[in-house]
Amino acid sequence: MRIRNLWALILIALPLAFMVIFFLIPFLVTVVASFHDADGAWTLANYKKIFADSYYPGIFFTTFKLSLIATVVSFLIGYPIAYYIVNMVKSRGIRRLCYVLVIMPLFTSNIVRSFGWLILLGRQGLVNQTLVALGIIDRPMPILFTETAIVIGLAYILVPFMVLTISSVLQTIDRSLVEASLDLGSPRLSTFFHITLPLSLPGVIAGSLIVFTLAVSAYVVPAIMSGGRVVVMAMPIFDNYTALFDFNFGAALAVGLLVITLILIALYLLFIERGGARRIARQS
Amino acid sequence: MAKFIDVRNLTKRYGNYLALNDVSLEVAEGEFLALLGPSGCGKTTLLRLIAGFIDTSDGEISIDGRSMRDLPPNRRPVNTVFQNYALFPHMTVAENVAYGPRRNGESRKSAATLAADSLSTVGMLEFKARYPTQLSGGQQQRVALARAIANRPKVLLLDEPLGALDLKLRKQMQIELKTLQKSLGITFIFVTHDQEEALVMADRIAVMDAGRIVQIGGGEDIYHTPATRYVADFIGDANLVACEVAADRTLRATDSGVTLSVPHAADAGSKVTYLVRPEAILVSANAPEVSADRTVLKAVVTDKVFIGNALRIYVETGGLTLVSQIPSSSRAAEFNRGQTVHVSWHRDNGQVLAR
Repeated sequence: MRIRNLWALILIALPLAFMVIFFLIPFLVTVVASFHDADGAWTLANYKKIFADSYYPGIFFTTFKLSLIATVVSFLIGYPIAYYIVNMVKSRGIRRLCYVLVIMPLFTSNIVRSFGWLILLGRQGLVNQTLVALGIIDRPMPILFTETAIVIGLAYILVPFMVLTISSVLQTIDRSLVEASLDLGSPRLSTFFHITLPLSLPGVIAGSLIVFTLAVSAYVVPAIMSGGRVVVMAMPIFDNYTALFDFNFGAALAVGLLVITLILIALYLLFIERGGARRIARQS
Repeated sequence: MAKFIDVRNLTKRYGNYLALNDVSLEVAEGEFLALLGPSGCGKTTLLRLIAGFIDTSDGEISIDGRSMRDLPPNRRPVNTVFQNYALFPHMTVAENVAYGPRRNGESRKSAATLAADSLSTVGMLEFKARYPTQLSGGQQQRVALARAIANRPKVLLLDEPLGALDLKLRKQMQIELKTLQKSLGITFIFVTHDQEEALVMADRIAVMDAGRIVQIGGGEDIYHTPATRYVADFIGDANLVACEVAADRTLRATDSGVTLSVPHAADAGSKVTYLVRPEAILVSANAPEVSADRTVLKAVVTDKVFIGNALRIYVETGGLTLVSQIPSSSRAAEFNRGQTVHVSWHRDNGQVLAR
């Protein structure tokens, strides 16, 4: 019994130590730094500077807006894919192959992938050429270096996270529940909205939280896809640390981003808890 | 009686596997039919075909004169009670039961009324605000039943609904289901592998084996005059003796050579199975009066098993083992192992089956 306790302690201690050394301590250092000025004196000036004018609030707004759109887009693309893999693909082997295909984008480097998109989305890129050839638009439209490009780039790498979390929950839904709903006179589409979707909400919630936080902190994709014309929060943080060497202000921006993200997530979960899920599940 | 459910030459293939092989079946309105058989006999497949969850490979199902061909499950006049109940975990009991009426266009209010009706029919009204996970197995079973009858279906399909309940509750539910079925007047098709359950509840029993219906009829018919050795073995306990017809046109047990002195008008040498139910075999210490229509054998008691209300006595004679079942209150209960006894049965209680 004693030995088993000791082992349990060691097993808990290792990841705990890892978290403390590589996350908690750097995090606290950052928080402390954000309350210091360049001379090491305590101050709130860094935070005051963020809200001094509309520049940084604007960047915050852009960051969260693009992250939200990227999350919604990832959901709209990811849910059907997850549904298809879980419910439509009969063969186990092909299902595994589908998962590999889904996570394929994650195999390539962020930078290479983004440059790939540059080629596809450019004025003479494949996307514009196809749209023009199909007669959908008259002349190439600007996609690259816009907010749309950032959303495309983000959604592309974030969809796999959405697919994996949603499909893991979809798998656990008992097929007989769907059959029971059909049996009781509910057509397929209505069955989906009354049974499958509400029961898969935990996966949607988990997936959207992962995707949203990853989108908020993304740096490489927005930087490359926007060509610097759209600024998201990760960029000034990066600049303050690497170019301006203003660690204190950079830290304040990072902490600000973290706090606002946490507040948004808390509000989201509160909304779900308060019956958002219940309302969707409700028979209307 | 008019055929209400008409199943014609129904076949279901999974690749090369024949799950259901050319099954035809007629069920009258208001009838309680049991589909009985071991797992893999095709009984659940037949039920799922009627419900519309799977497509037929061949054949036709019609209910109340209307073909079910290409009709999705949501448009069939049947409802199902699932083996695992399949209650919606994110809805309360009331919402579960109101789900059917609601999806069929009832207003929220009238669906709630219908749900309350159904719930009180099964005695679960007081649990309407609970979630399925807050109910016991037996309570979930009742809710599943209430949900299935809330739509007022013409046919109720039940897929081993009592399988997960303990014995006492199961027996109680058997009687309740039977009463409910009679009072609602709904046609029940009940899948079970439990022969006793089928005997207790059903008006007629369809015994299935390897994708076919091997016999269909009332419980007593099937018990007393089984069509095949398989049916005799499946329904109730049975002494099944492999026999061949001797030169004097009587039966002789093939393995032991014991003469059963049962006349049989088949050609000498033909092989048959002789069936006699354990409760038909009498055991006595003294030789019973010799009578032309009784088979009497002298045997030794090899084992005695007490099963509560009855006693099974295993006897052996010349290599032939038979089992007799007598009430445990009977005086024959005093027999001991190794004792020499006389076993006898009336020939009307025996039956010759094709092999």
